[in-house]
Amino acid sequence: MRFLLRLLSPLLGLVVAAVGVLLLLEVITAWVAPASSPLVVPWPSWRSALTEATWSSGTVRTIAIVVAVVGFLVVLVALVARRHDVRLTDPVPEVTVTTSPRSLARAVGHEVRSQADVVSASVVASSNKVVVKAGTLDEPDVVRQAIRERVDALFTRLPLARRPRVSISVAATKGVK
Amino acid sequence: MSRRSRAAVARSTASDRTLVLLSGLVLLAVGVLVVLLGQGVFGTYRAQRPLIDPEITGWISANATAARWIAIGVGVVLLVLGLIWALRSLRPEPRPDVLLSDVPGARLSVEHSAIADAVRADAETITGVSRARVRLVGDERRPAMRLVLWLVEDADVRDVWAEVDGRVLARARSAFGVDAIPTAVRIELDAAASKAPRVL
Repeated sequence: MRFLLRLLSPLLGLVVAAVGVLLLLEVITAWVAPASSPLVVPWPSWRSALTEATWSSGTVRTIAIVVAVVGFLVVLVALVARRHDVRLTDPVPEVTVTTSPRSLARAVGHEVRSQADVVSASVVASSNKVVVKAGTLDEPDVVRQAIRERVDALFTRLPLARRPRVSISVAATKGVK
Repeated sequence: MSRRSRAAVARSTASDRTLVLLSGLVLLAVGVLVVLLGQGVFGTYRAQRPLIDPEITGWISANATAARWIAIGVGVVLLVLGLIWALRSLRPEPRPDVLLSDVPGARLSVEHSAIADAVRADAETITGVSRARVRLVGDERRPAMRLVLWLVEDADVRDVWAEVDGRVLARARSAFGVDAIPTAVRIELDAAASKAPRVL
């Protein structure tokens, strides 16, 4: 989402600037050389359409709804585009240490897969929650307990500022051991 | 954690977010207001009036020159604001040199790349660090450092920290003659494994 914001922000700026340029161009053309007006924007036909359409007409309402929906999406992009860094405890006051959710998930994933009776695992991590899904050929409950111990041990080694909640689900996979 | 070291974690998107949020709110408000207006919330008679009200066209034809100057003024304001917005948001994050002495005639500053390369070379000698990237952020007078460290699998984060602070940053501090350099360290855990796919 941050990428979208970084893309959207200069684009919106350029749109505002373009509207300004077109407005200047049309106003000055209509003033200085009325013969060659309209230059780029067919504003006389827009004007006659807008003079006829009323606020309650269907087209106006449709366009207004589209504008409102686009506005809502833009608001959503601005609100969602924040960093999701995972904070680690600071070794000294002048140093801030962070890692990415992806990197945390990778670390947990390696830890889970290094368990011998896990055949497959997927991990999704954020700074307050880690979700582990694993498959095994053995008894799922036993493996689940083993994975929990491993992940707990990892979080003891890893100096996270906030220990995330860990949810582990283990499913039995069919196959030959 | 200090405020400056926290600010060095990543480039701030505060101004971009504010501007995008504002434009979204404006679009949303305009859309909702026009729908309400059409529904007759602000008077049934008003809902039946055309978008370009005869009153407005009347005023414009009565004050043609004033209307043109207003339109030109709005155009200039939109153009300038839009360009400033786009340029600010496209401008790359500055890489400041470090100013060691500001005395006239004896101004001394260290180039950004010199510091970044030195600290990077230092950081890459730490056990457990496979790759490092270093840059300075902020301005010449109040620089902060951003360190990205890729750790190999099984590297002990606490040991790496101890070396980062005790050796790498200590050397940088003594080189600059300061007590503290605000630093943001970004750690990529188990990064080496992602380069070589695991085959079982």
